[in-house]
Amino acid sequence: MGLPPRVIAPAYLVLALGAGTAMAGGVAGKVEVPAAPARAAVSNKGFLDRVENPLAPVKPVATTPQMLVVLEGPPPAGGTPVQVVWELVGESFAKPVIGAQVGAKVEIKNTSRTPRSLVAKGQPKLIEGGPLNPSGVRSFRVDAAGLIEVGDSDAPHLKGTVVVVASPYFATVDAAGKFDLGEVPEGTYKLQVFYGTGWIDQPEQQVVVPAKGKAEVTVKIPAGYPLKK
Amino acid sequence: MFWSKIWFFLIALAATAALALALALPRPAARAQATEEQRRLGVACDVVDILLTDDARNRVEVTGAFARTGTVVSALETASAAEKLDDVRMKQVRSVGEEVVKTIEGRKPDFAILLDRRGRVVANVNIDQDEYGDTLAGRPLVDDALAGYLRDDIWVFNNSMYFVAASPVIKRDATVEYVGAVLLGHKVTNELAQKLAGSVGVDVGFYLAGEPVAQSRSVSFDKATMQKAIGALSSGDPARDCQASKPTPVRAGKENITAIVARLPGEAATKQGYFTIFAAQPVDPGFLGTFKRLTKDDLTGDFPWVLVGGGFVLALAIGIGLMLVETDRPLRRLTADVVKLAKGETERLAEDAHPGKFGSIARSVNIHIDKLGREAKTAKKDLDQLLGPAPEGSLGTIDLLATALPSVRPGGAGPATPPPPSEFRFGDSGSSPARGTPVVPPAATAKTPPPVSFKNIGTQPGVGGGAAPVAAPPPPKPPLPPPPQTGPMAVQKAPPPLRLDDDILGGNAEPSTVGAAPTPPPPAGGYDPYFKEVYDQFIAMKQACNEQTSGLTFEKFADKLVRNRDDLKAKTGCTEVKFTVYVKDGKAALKATPV
Repeated sequence: MGLPPRVIAPAYLVLALGAGTAMAGGVAGKVEVPAAPARAAVSNKGFLDRVENPLAPVKPVATTPQMLVVLEGPPPAGGTPVQVVWELVGESFAKPVIGAQVGAKVEIKNTSRTPRSLVAKGQPKLIEGGPLNPSGVRSFRVDAAGLIEVGDSDAPHLKGTVVVVASPYFATVDAAGKFDLGEVPEGTYKLQVFYGTGWIDQPEQQVVVPAKGKAEVTVKIPAGYPLKK
Repeated sequence: MFWSKIWFFLIALAATAALALALALPRPAARAQATEEQRRLGVACDVVDILLTDDARNRVEVTGAFARTGTVVSALETASAAEKLDDVRMKQVRSVGEEVVKTIEGRKPDFAILLDRRGRVVANVNIDQDEYGDTLAGRPLVDDALAGYLRDDIWVFNNSMYFVAASPVIKRDATVEYVGAVLLGHKVTNELAQKLAGSVGVDVGFYLAGEPVAQSRSVSFDKATMQKAIGALSSGDPARDCQASKPTPVRAGKENITAIVARLPGEAATKQGYFTIFAAQPVDPGFLGTFKRLTKDDLTGDFPWVLVGGGFVLALAIGIGLMLVETDRPLRRLTADVVKLAKGETERLAEDAHPGKFGSIARSVNIHIDKLGREAKTAKKDLDQLLGPAPEGSLGTIDLLATALPSVRPGGAGPATPPPPSEFRFGDSGSSPARGTPVVPPAATAKTPPPVSFKNIGTQPGVGGGAAPVAAPPPPKPPLPPPPQTGPMAVQKAPPPLRLDDDILGGNAEPSTVGAAPTPPPPAGGYDPYFKEVYDQFIAMKQACNEQTSGLTFEKFADKLVRNRDDLKAKTGCTEVKFTVYVKDGKAALKATPV
């Protein structure tokens, strides 16, 4: 039983480019993922257990949409963090995981027809209260590195994670595992991968960014998607 | 009487126990009914859960069939390939969905949602029909369907509850490919609740956070009570709520209801969704209610009438037997004994022959007889002292008392000859003689004329007609009494025992006796008119007996009566004295009776 071709979701690459970089190359790469973890137990089970359809094998869990690739290196010379736009497309965010530089403004845009009451877990005052109506925008600023989990108290299934890092160089991963960090100043960086709820526990991977052109990087995720403790 | 009392006590005890039992018996029955009702609710809850599960299976199958429809697969494949959705595509896909919905047999879904492979809404059927583009991916049901699972869930939106089933849409041509998913929703309505209620025989309701969503009958529960019942289930497996849930008594308006709650699965659970199986609490019918519910069949067939009837007959027989032995027979014996006493066949009641209270009655009667005997003896003695020894037939004989005396008296020897029968008769009160009309026993009637009552005197004038004194042959004239003493000394001496008739017949006596009465005669016309009646009767009787009446004046006669009356009153304490004229031994006699 062969695996079906993966559906590649549009990868919204959020770039935070350092301003005023005279010599800048780029980083593009691919994340090689091991076998997907087992699907979580059925959530909100109805009267029946879920059953597999008889026509095609069940799709594996898509792991790459929950990944964020981050380059850590010398601090950028000046510049201000770039605002991050996060689309709320219905019953989920367009990207379940996004990155934001410390001090950046995160703007949540509700492109669905459903009003939401968003709240940051553990930081109830981070997001302005009240419903976020369709086509409405709610923004907040991230002041420290860490994780911010945003959800809707009326829809437990609606969750998204903002990974706040010091580096301005980070990118999400598409369904095929590809990512593109865009312009990155020349230099040597350490590459880290965030997955789901934490950082992948893997050997340290150095990335040397040339002055011109793109550095091709392949990131291998260890089996079992181990996370740093 | 002892055993009769014991028996009555036992009967009363048994009746009381039976009554208490009858009053108490409905209670365990009501308790058993309540328990049975609760058990029935639990079973109904399980049945409803099974019916809902079965319904979910049917809905999932229908959704799978919907998703396998070729037009649906093609429409969603095309939509999935499009970067952006538009109205044209939406309407085209919606049209496809509407056509497929029409082909569904049986209960049709209240809505259908067609999603592309990304989870975007391509078209809505029968709900928000002009909207599209929202991503439903993220909801567990949709994620599972897009991943290839068939399953169901319970959604809540637009203030309604929906049973939703989802199925992946799979292209199966050259390559097998997921192209989207289909969701079919069935609204939870009152009709659904009523249908379920009709299947289980009790009411069914669906609720969200205590607010009713659908009910088989409109009942407003106490929200806090229901929430508390739901809260008690929070730690267990929702699939076993029907077994774990305890029947909850809850007040709904004026109605007392027993309810069993069970959490609804799926997303509804996160919104405190649950369903309730409820029924009115059975009312304790009590004794009267149970009695009213008796039917003819309850008292026929195998009802132990033989046992009941036998018990009744046995109790009755024992009661009657005890009454017979302890009351009726002794009473009859006492009655017979008293009749014998009345007839003079016995002089006392046999005390030892009568048990218990009847013996006491006999003793009391005997004591009274003895008392009367003593009083009569005393009265006779007083009369003898007053009037002198009373030979047979002489005035002053108190015949009535004499007849009541037994032959042997505790106070002394009785009369030589047995007394005549008393005028008294048992059980014949109608024949009791009136005052002044003594009844003469038959034996006496045969020998002597009957006493002349005052009335009879008036109605039997003279001596001629009638069967009484006149019909009797004239008795021989009695010997004259000895001549009385004369002179003043004779008056001062203790007077010899006098007989009134002798004094009254003083025409033959000494004139001095007449003129030397111990007490001055009352003034003429001052006597009681009753004395004149007695005098007239006495004269008439004397004449009837051919006795001489010339010397007997009314004044003398009245004086005697006055003295006699006063003496009797003083001696006996009576209030009145009755004088009766009668014939004894062929001569007129006068009898004084204390009244």
